Amino acid sequence: MKIHVKGNIRDLLAFKNLVPKRKKRIMRSSATPIGADAVGELSRRLHPQRQHLVISAVKDETSTTKTFRLVPDPDALTPELAPFQAGQYLSIKAEVNGVRITRPYAISSSPGEKEFYEITLRKTENGFLTEYAWANWKVGTKLDSSGPEGTFTYEPLRDTKEILGLAGGSGITPFRSMIKDIVENDLDLKLMLIYGIKCPDDIIFADELQELAKTAPEKISVHYVCSEPDSCWQGRTGFLSADCITELAGDLSNKTLFICGPPQMYRYLEEELKSLSLPKKRIRREAFGEVKDIEQYPGFPPEAQGKSFKLSVTMAGKSLEIPALSNETILVAMERANLAPPSKCRSGECGFCRSRLVAGDVFVRPEDDGRRAADKIFGYIHPCSSYPLSDIVIEVPRDV
Amino acid sequence: MADYDVIVIGAGNGGLTAGAQLAANGTKVIVLEQHNLPGGFASSFVRGRFEFEPSLHELCDVGPANDKGSVRTLLEDDLGVNVDFVSVPEAYRLILTEEGLDVTMPFGINEFVDAMDGYVPGSRSQMRAYLDLCKEVLDALTYLGESKGNPDKKVLMKEHANFLKTTPYTVEEVTRRFKIPEQAKKILYAYWCYIGLPMSRMSFTLFSAMLHKYLTKGAYIPRYRSHEMSSAIEAKLLENGGRIEYNTRVDKILVENGKVTGVETSFGDRITTNHVICNASPTMTYNKLISPQSAVPQIAYKEVNARIHGSSAFVLYLGLDATADELGLSDYSYFIYDHMDTDKLYASFNNLFDPTVQATICLNKAIPDCSPAGTSIMSFTILYRPGVWDNVKPEDYVATKRKIADQLIGNFEQATNIHLRKHIEEIEIATPQTFARYTGSFGGGVYGYEPEPWDSIIPRMMSIEDEKYIEGLRFTGGNAFRTYGYSSSLLCGQTVALLTLKDMGVV
Repeated sequence: MKIHVKGNIRDLLAFKNLVPKRKKRIMRSSATPIGADAVGELSRRLHPQRQHLVISAVKDETSTTKTFRLVPDPDALTPELAPFQAGQYLSIKAEVNGVRITRPYAISSSPGEKEFYEITLRKTENGFLTEYAWANWKVGTKLDSSGPEGTFTYEPLRDTKEILGLAGGSGITPFRSMIKDIVENDLDLKLMLIYGIKCPDDIIFADELQELAKTAPEKISVHYVCSEPDSCWQGRTGFLSADCITELAGDLSNKTLFICGPPQMYRYLEEELKSLSLPKKRIRREAFGEVKDIEQYPGFPPEAQGKSFKLSVTMAGKSLEIPALSNETILVAMERANLAPPSKCRSGECGFCRSRLVAGDVFVRPEDDGRRAADKIFGYIHPCSSYPLSDIVIEVPRDV
Repeated sequence: MADYDVIVIGAGNGGLTAGAQLAANGTKVIVLEQHNLPGGFASSFVRGRFEFEPSLHELCDVGPANDKGSVRTLLEDDLGVNVDFVSVPEAYRLILTEEGLDVTMPFGINEFVDAMDGYVPGSRSQMRAYLDLCKEVLDALTYLGESKGNPDKKVLMKEHANFLKTTPYTVEEVTRRFKIPEQAKKILYAYWCYIGLPMSRMSFTLFSAMLHKYLTKGAYIPRYRSHEMSSAIEAKLLENGGRIEYNTRVDKILVENGKVTGVETSFGDRITTNHVICNASPTMTYNKLISPQSAVPQIAYKEVNARIHGSSAFVLYLGLDATADELGLSDYSYFIYDHMDTDKLYASFNNLFDPTVQATICLNKAIPDCSPAGTSIMSFTILYRPGVWDNVKPEDYVATKRKIADQLIGNFEQATNIHLRKHIEEIEIATPQTFARYTGSFGGGVYGYEPEPWDSIIPRMMSIEDEKYIEGLRFTGGNAFRTYGYSSSLLCGQTVALLTLKDMGVV
């Protein structure tokens, strides 16, 4: 077969001229450099790698809870705050007694409040960061954070228009943001919150939630369930049992559950919700940080309990040997040694701490194992949800 | 002594294979990647119980183990990288909604021609002649590859004249010479969106080679998403003594007296080298990376300004709580277009809303167990010309992408009468912004410079040495000489590594 496109000679000439024509075309073009990359700029505004913030106000919520208001640090290069969706968190980078750590905190303010973020911290016993924050964080204190992170957000293409929020303890914070968002922006969305508390003094945002529910009673309702009530408590008592949930919320078939609370609440609800046989897509859980009592977890090898192992870390070409305890994540071991490794969610989910396990064994709870399938094959781990079971050799990227 | 023989900027497909080839040759090489994962676009992400494929639809030129294509040969034989490739069942399902056309086309030349003749009786002989020409183009490209840039002109003239005579032209210009019925042409053009410029401008050489490769070698995807392939290449690179640093963005390529001397990273480190292989685009490199900027010659700006930036993409990912069969999804790859006027379809890439083109995939039709029992994974891709997302404000961003996603689901449901909305368990949406975020690509571009005939693979190859403006700097990946797509980028990396070894006087 012989093909001609525009004639034999013309075609061959066209081939001969391909490169000369290309050259001509290039020579004819402008030599002006391209300045802006608008999409790249949009990307940096939506997902800044780091936001430099300063505390502009501190509010006592309860005897053990404070809300810190964060605004852009005028001395640093953060001109504005990245927008967020209600339910998202910030990974706060803090230096505690000279050790650099991160902690994820749900943003408790509303997305409509564009001038600031609020995070609400409850002081816990032996809380590494909270004890420090109570003593040191005040108006004017500078903090760094990630951009807004996380997928614990309402998605109209996926979720029902009725949300049932189940909060435990300081797990109330993302719901404050969601409720404010619904009321302030008049969203086409209903939210019933069932808030599990230990004792009546624990209720965070009590007055505010009442006020919001009053403003939009057709959209917002709040119920409390107290597990250790005092003699004055007149509300519901007990835990967030299946019975309690169905009694308050009624038919669940048109509702999406959003759950945020401490690990023991998830464990309790896991069993309770089984009896309700809801489809998986109707239950959304926020990640809630490290497991404190990992050695008690079924499946944790008894022979590794109470051990201290050698952890060899290579970061940016430099290696260091540090201790790692079997009941602490590899991430915590590295933070203790002040290596400032990258991390955000601290729940195994986001993968920001992803590191190469060169040698050794680790324990990961299946529910905290957010790794990619190929990462399991090629020996990568998420140090924030991995506990050492032997001496470990690991390669870790630097934080951005 | 320089710190490294070669620094590779970016661990995308083309950066990884370049790095792996250099490491295999014993070169002291470091790959610097701004993200914390290998692969660039070739990656994966987890939402709930689903692991999604971010950008790959199907790899061209892999082929089965007993009839390897160039990509499988590169990975398995040249680099010693093993990837668990899974074959895609059919070539494509094409639905033209305004015309009521709905066809499913198989792989294999005979099967394809038969199916076409079934849909468009009388198309057989012209279709066969057309695919014969496509094969000649491919043979010529193979010969050019084997001749390592020094083809014998006599051989070219004698054995590959049809290739020479068609390579200056567009798909439309060449296809016009065949008496292919209009309806058959529409079916034949289905793959156009993988290159994404109208047939009136697309290089025939590129389209014909791609079409023929798909039909003869089939299409493949890595079992555990593209991240498996990227991880496998990375593992080999490390095994051979290469190094990769993540979260490490190169801010500057340092140039003195017209020669590369090193790079400066986002950590402020300066690393010295005489050879950089750059996975970033020339646009990004000349406009943002070369330091000092005065080291960029005028001609380099002219070149990137002469070229036409490729499209970016928008992808909707769904994790569904029903199986593909329960939903009624019968195919892996759905091309759903309003019609087949590629000029008009391309023009619609300038509109933020109301997409007229979607390339949709149900991953479970190739890998049934890619998601847990009782579930399935889908992705819906559309293209955008540069600039469309420039004026989207951060506060409108989420609502904007949600609206487009909603339209895409609606369009799919209408075209196929398959209902998805009730089954959405996980949803994620990537926009040009997302691709800019994770790959650093200029304008969030997913495709490289558009391959019109003057800027297609052949003129680029013929100009590769001539268009080297800074000594020690070569490009790899989708913006380099092989043009874009996974397969092209992977193969490009190897060639550029070998050219760099030549620059170093090693081979």
